[in-house]
Amino acid sequence: MKLSLNWLNDFVRHGLLPEKLAERLTMAGHEVKSIDEIAGDRVFEIEITPNRPDCLNTLGLAREVSAIVNKPLVLQKLKTIKIPKTLCSVTIEDRSACLRYVGAVVENISIAESPIVVKERLQAMGVRSINNVVDITNYGLFENGQPLHTFDYDKLIGGKIIVRRAKAGEKIVTLDGVERQLNPSILVIADAERAVAIAGIMGGQDTEVTAKTKRILLESAYFDPVLIRRAGRALGLTSDSAYRFERGVDLTNVDVAAKRALSRLLDFAGGNIVNYRDVAVKKTVTQKQFSVDMKGIGHFLGTNISAVQVKKILGKLDFKVSGKGECLKVMAPSFRSDIKGAIDISEEISRIIGYDRLDSSLPQIKPSAIVSSERFQLKRKLRRILTAQGLDEAISYPLISRGAIEKTNVADLPISRVKNPLSLDQEYLRPSLLASLLAVVNLNFNHGQKNLRLFELGKIYPPAGEKEVLGIVLTGNRPQNWQINKKETVDFYDLKGIVVRIFETLGFDLPTCVLGKKTIDIVLEKEKIGFLGKVSKDILKNWDLKSDDVYYAEIDLEKFYKLKPQIKRFVSLTDFPSITRDVSIAVKQDVSFGQIESLAREIGSTHLIAINFIEQYLGEKIAAGQKGLVFSLLYQSSQRTLTEAEIAPIHEKILQRLSQDFGAVIR
Amino acid sequence: MMRWDFDKITQEAIKEITACDDLKNLEALRVKFLGRKGLLTEVYSSLPTLSAEEKPLVGKNANNFRNKITSLLDERRILLENTSTDIVAETLDVSLPGIAAPVGREHILSQIIEEICSTFENLGFVVQDGPEIETEFNNFTALNIPADHPSRDSFDTFYLETPDPEQKDRNLLLRSQTSPVQIRLMKQFKPPFAVVIPGKVYRPDAVDASHSFVFHQIEGLLVDEDIKFSDLKGLLTAFCQRLFGEKTRMRFRPHYFPFTEPSAEVDISCYICDGKGCSVCGRKGWLEIMGCGMVNPKVFEAVKYPKGKYTGLAFGMGVERMAMLKYGINDIRLFFENDVRFLKQF
Repeated sequence: MKLSLNWLNDFVRHGLLPEKLAERLTMAGHEVKSIDEIAGDRVFEIEITPNRPDCLNTLGLAREVSAIVNKPLVLQKLKTIKIPKTLCSVTIEDRSACLRYVGAVVENISIAESPIVVKERLQAMGVRSINNVVDITNYGLFENGQPLHTFDYDKLIGGKIIVRRAKAGEKIVTLDGVERQLNPSILVIADAERAVAIAGIMGGQDTEVTAKTKRILLESAYFDPVLIRRAGRALGLTSDSAYRFERGVDLTNVDVAAKRALSRLLDFAGGNIVNYRDVAVKKTVTQKQFSVDMKGIGHFLGTNISAVQVKKILGKLDFKVSGKGECLKVMAPSFRSDIKGAIDISEEISRIIGYDRLDSSLPQIKPSAIVSSERFQLKRKLRRILTAQGLDEAISYPLISRGAIEKTNVADLPISRVKNPLSLDQEYLRPSLLASLLAVVNLNFNHGQKNLRLFELGKIYPPAGEKEVLGIVLTGNRPQNWQINKKETVDFYDLKGIVVRIFETLGFDLPTCVLGKKTIDIVLEKEKIGFLGKVSKDILKNWDLKSDDVYYAEIDLEKFYKLKPQIKRFVSLTDFPSITRDVSIAVKQDVSFGQIESLAREIGSTHLIAINFIEQYLGEKIAAGQKGLVFSLLYQSSQRTLTEAEIAPIHEKILQRLSQDFGAVIR
Repeated sequence: MMRWDFDKITQEAIKEITACDDLKNLEALRVKFLGRKGLLTEVYSSLPTLSAEEKPLVGKNANNFRNKITSLLDERRILLENTSTDIVAETLDVSLPGIAAPVGREHILSQIIEEICSTFENLGFVVQDGPEIETEFNNFTALNIPADHPSRDSFDTFYLETPDPEQKDRNLLLRSQTSPVQIRLMKQFKPPFAVVIPGKVYRPDAVDASHSFVFHQIEGLLVDEDIKFSDLKGLLTAFCQRLFGEKTRMRFRPHYFPFTEPSAEVDISCYICDGKGCSVCGRKGWLEIMGCGMVNPKVFEAVKYPKGKYTGLAFGMGVERMAMLKYGINDIRLFFENDVRFLKQF
């Protein structure tokens, strides 16, 4: 909303410099965004909050200023006009869409230029001057907030005004010269035969007031805000009038505004009023009276305010206030539909006084009935663990395209679709984090960044639901430094290491990796809580990723959140020496290290305290189908020094059983 | 006449030792004076050849010399050991980068969320979260947003194809604010409580440098029997001064939100120019950083709290906006693209 300071001066003598006035308005809830100088005038651009349509005009803002500076508000009196008894034809067909319609016919008008002052003020409002008649309607809108429209009465077929829904297939060429297709959700003003205006939004070209116009019909009405807004959106059309109707105009001002406009019309364009009609479903809004306890308000605000001051402020804002002492009876004016009770009064008072002048205190915060989210705490820890592993955290778009889903080969997963997507790129809620993360990999590859270690704590969305998952992507080389700079690409074990490290750090039982159909499952206590593996070649190809080695792990955090850390007990530090024995064997490739490990543990019992894997060898020096494994066994007792003689039989037995059970050959 | 002038020898030895700035040379000096083939050995081995008069005097002088030189050498050695750059100084290029285990970065948005949440945790709040897929009741109705309010339109809120179990003929939606979590918590718990709720929210805005269809908010809610408007001012002032510095000045501007009354927008004095006006604050000296207000009684009504029993304060802020202000990031898309050059900057 624009506010001309010259115009404002007609209503209230505030006596403030523009910058000071701007600050006071801002601090009263009408934020002044900018101050411009237009033809000797200062014009504020003010952001009016949606609850205050009454401030979308100069009078409304002047009322606010009058309360802020505590100076009287003066409304310029116009020449009184004689309202004829003869009626014009106005019919409201849709009585829920139009609560009031005032029509007046004026004859013998002379179309001319507007007086300078009108032109200047419209210019300040950013509106082009057209002619005296059209300008008067715009002037009225910016003066008191009531949108007005004029028709060339001689072009209204049958001289009739009908407020009705548009017919299917009906068309109208609006004042901006565009032909618009209408439908029954749109309210129109029609004459006997056709739509002549889109109600509340824009008039039609056919009945436009021109230089040749002799008789006009002036319209001042109240249209349903929701209907106007929806029609405007559907047509992609808005106007100063529509903006005000959408937010709600003052029902009681409809005829007042019409009369002010008629008075100006006779003044600027001559002529005489021949017909007048006020069709009203409702003429006013009934405001409820409610009581306001000043003690209660003082307590709620934390600042005591006197009843006298409150009466003064509310009076300036056109509220009716009665009652003595601390308990006041208050009734809001018809244009303040936002005021519903004492709580709203507390805001009116405090914003006019200024929030900055109210007291400040620190609340006594008691221990909450709500406990902190364990999820949030665990995610905090996960971030710490993963960044310590050299992974960067990503946050990607949860809405993705059909294409991204298909490229990731997850189109068979059930998915949720957005009903009103903004674009096809954001049509679906992702069923897998991989689709989002591959887009991230793709972007980084395109920027030449090929070594990526990323994770995301994000949501995936099975139909009508959502669950949190952790996704990890590794690709490119292992971290190097200038002393160890041989390039090694990451592989499955890098990813497994990170996954296991998470469980280890949090003190959970360690998961095992189990070969599944397409991926490797991460299993804990027989339950699958995630998967990991190499992203398949065709998915990489679909995403146009020039790499063979992109590894991905996903952990279902919903299951993860249910895990409890093991109860830790202190193990005393032993001073007795340990004995380490290296073992190098050749076994068939289908024998897993896990099998060897559990056999060794079984036999080694309490004396075998650690098994450290050293190397796997799959080269030429070993028979086809075989692999070489090197590991060490660590024997130690917390009670005494173990002797070679004690260890030898245990160790021998392990070796013996390895060859017996797995055909291992000691190398 | 004595064969050794101990005074002179001692003076020269002291000179040599104090001039020595290298552990190797110091060792050579030790050998020279005290070593097996050194000066002192020579003196001692010649004692039998001396006269009975000379013997005790030379012996005494030699002992004094040994004590003096030994302690001097020790002192000098300790000094050199402590100051020495030691290992092969000539091959050490100290300007080469050091070597450390590789470390990753939390996303800048996570960092900001963490900073804000932990500040509130220090003020006595707990952190909670809630779902992104919401009902119309939680996202709008319970928050006193009228049935015909524009924000409910499909222009302003994403709806899913899934029907809303609470309301026939309506669909589930992607929350357009974190406030529905307030409703969920209040439906479940009775005051007192103080919570902050970070999370993603969705609005159908075409993506450009300053718009995104998904972004992050942090919501706060404090409800008890006697929470006052002055508490709102005090609490948020304490928060902003902890986050942006003690000298931060605050401005509470009246504003409108359906779920709070009175409502305010909070400006802080620009921490770049200290309120003088710069390009970051658009020459205004103020930065708008959050919305807040006293919980509207209609909201308490919607969650069926006894009428008039509780009052509360609520606030909300945009995380991307905070990050953009704090670091001068000029494109909101950068947060979601995850270019590692961007991620590694913070």
